[in-house]
Amino acid sequence: MKLNKRFRVTVENRGKIGGYLFTLPFVVGFILFFLYPFVQSIIFSLNKLSLTTEGYELEFVRFDNYYYSIFTNTEFNQAFVETITEMVIDLPLILAFSFFAAILLNQKFKGRALARVIFFLPVIYSAGVVLKMEQNDFVTQLMKESNINFMFSGEALQVLLKQTKFLPDAMITYVLKAVDNIPVIIRSSGIQILVFLAGLQSIPVSVYEAAEVEGASGWESFWLITLPMISPLILTNIVYTVVDKLTRADNELVLLIKDTAFTGRGYGVSTAMATMYFAAIAVILGIIFKVFSRYVFYRE
Amino acid sequence: MKLKFSIRKKRISRSAGGDFANFVFILISAAFMALPLVLITCNALKPLSELFIFPPRFYVRYPTLDNFRDLIILMSESWVPFSRYLANSLSVVILGTGGHVIIASLGAFVVSKYDFPGKKFFSAMVLLSLMFAPQVTRIPTYMIMAKIGWVNTLTSLIIPAWQYSLGFYLMSKFMGQIPDAILEAATIDGASKWRIFWSIVMPYVKPAWLTLIILSFQMLWADTGSFYIYSEAIKPLPNALFQIAAGGIARTGINAVVMFLMMLVPVTLFLFNQSKIVETMGTSGID
Repeated sequence: MKLNKRFRVTVENRGKIGGYLFTLPFVVGFILFFLYPFVQSIIFSLNKLSLTTEGYELEFVRFDNYYYSIFTNTEFNQAFVETITEMVIDLPLILAFSFFAAILLNQKFKGRALARVIFFLPVIYSAGVVLKMEQNDFVTQLMKESNINFMFSGEALQVLLKQTKFLPDAMITYVLKAVDNIPVIIRSSGIQILVFLAGLQSIPVSVYEAAEVEGASGWESFWLITLPMISPLILTNIVYTVVDKLTRADNELVLLIKDTAFTGRGYGVSTAMATMYFAAIAVILGIIFKVFSRYVFYRE
Repeated sequence: MKLKFSIRKKRISRSAGGDFANFVFILISAAFMALPLVLITCNALKPLSELFIFPPRFYVRYPTLDNFRDLIILMSESWVPFSRYLANSLSVVILGTGGHVIIASLGAFVVSKYDFPGKKFFSAMVLLSLMFAPQVTRIPTYMIMAKIGWVNTLTSLIIPAWQYSLGFYLMSKFMGQIPDAILEAATIDGASKWRIFWSIVMPYVKPAWLTLIILSFQMLWADTGSFYIYSEAIKPLPNALFQIAAGGIARTGINAVVMFLMMLVPVTLFLFNQSKIVETMGTSGID
């Protein structure tokens, strides 16, 4: 029995084979277009890369590239801290906004289709080509320079908050940054709204009906049905937001990494920066996962 | 199952004030999002004299189609016909998006619903891959492309799109929400995995793969492909449009039209898709 175990196609084993077959196309591509380049770029980060007539040459320099990015390069540390801080400030706001917007857009009202399209527009704006075009556009440049967002600028609010002394200073800074960021936050929550919307709609109506028959109010069914049912997607959206914020093409640090690779100190330094950045994002997400997965509810 | 409770039609306690507050909230946020589109549309319709007016004016006063005409004239002069660029772009977008949705869903299905050795490791790798800025792996990816011989073919844009790991991640999260009981019931009834996948899982996560389609479409639609493709005849449309628009200040009007066109297609697609996102479990009748 034990000897034969490996060769027997049990139901269980068939499941495993099926599992491998189903993931195979993805895995092959994944290894080819992510895993191999990823390992390769980590190798590059430990070497000095120089171009020769036949291609390139690697010279092993241990952690020199890392030392250089942290201690010698003036831009990296600053850009790093700024990017991370900005992400920490924006993350809760984007999540709250997109969740709220998704709930509103999930209700029935006239012009809902149009409203949904409008809320999705930012996803299209953030596509690379549109960004490039915007940089090309003379008029847009002009408008950007003549500060247009004065309406929601934090300056008026700052005076008010500082005078009333209602909040501690750290809170004030946070609130002000948040207010200044309102357009940014609204514009970077397109996909999150879509994910929440799709999640809200996959909650069976029957659950709400049952709750209503039992006499639950709308408030109760929100906290006891909607929120637990959507909680896995909250985690998903956290991941998406962090990843989107930190790796999008117009991110300050990503631009720096790109510039370093193609016009600056070379590919080695650039990959070293990228690896450190990657490690930082992974740690941040790891912490978020540890904290949040306790509250996530999975339907059995 | 068709029986509906009359109680459902009762409006859950909502006040006129609450409705109004919701409306205002949606309106303000929508204004932020819609403004750029309005501006781009206006710009595309502005005659040259209005484009350079100072201080810049938001709305167009005397709309013309001059910019569109200029673009058409310019396009008809290029030695690669416009339809060729369009065909390139469409084949990349359609094959890339279709392949991505199917492959990512297949993988996500087993990863989220079945156990097999190496599953945990694989999920972790996919999650990690999300965090790595794609700009960094460009050179090694190019080297792989060169080895396989895909450089300067449309394949180099299509196949990597299939392995877009964000789509895989989103899909597996959505599939994780399908109750195991439904799949077990189907297995007991004798459905194969393949059958379960197509007739239970995919209809169940319809909102998810429509989301995926939109996400992948807008990414590929905006892809200039300039990294792998150097023959003019197989470059996708955005590349051509972008080259035209890069002509400097003199082409501001055309640039506006190009921006308008680039946005129009994904917006229209979304407009058609979003009504289908509404159809879900509740209405598809599996419950």
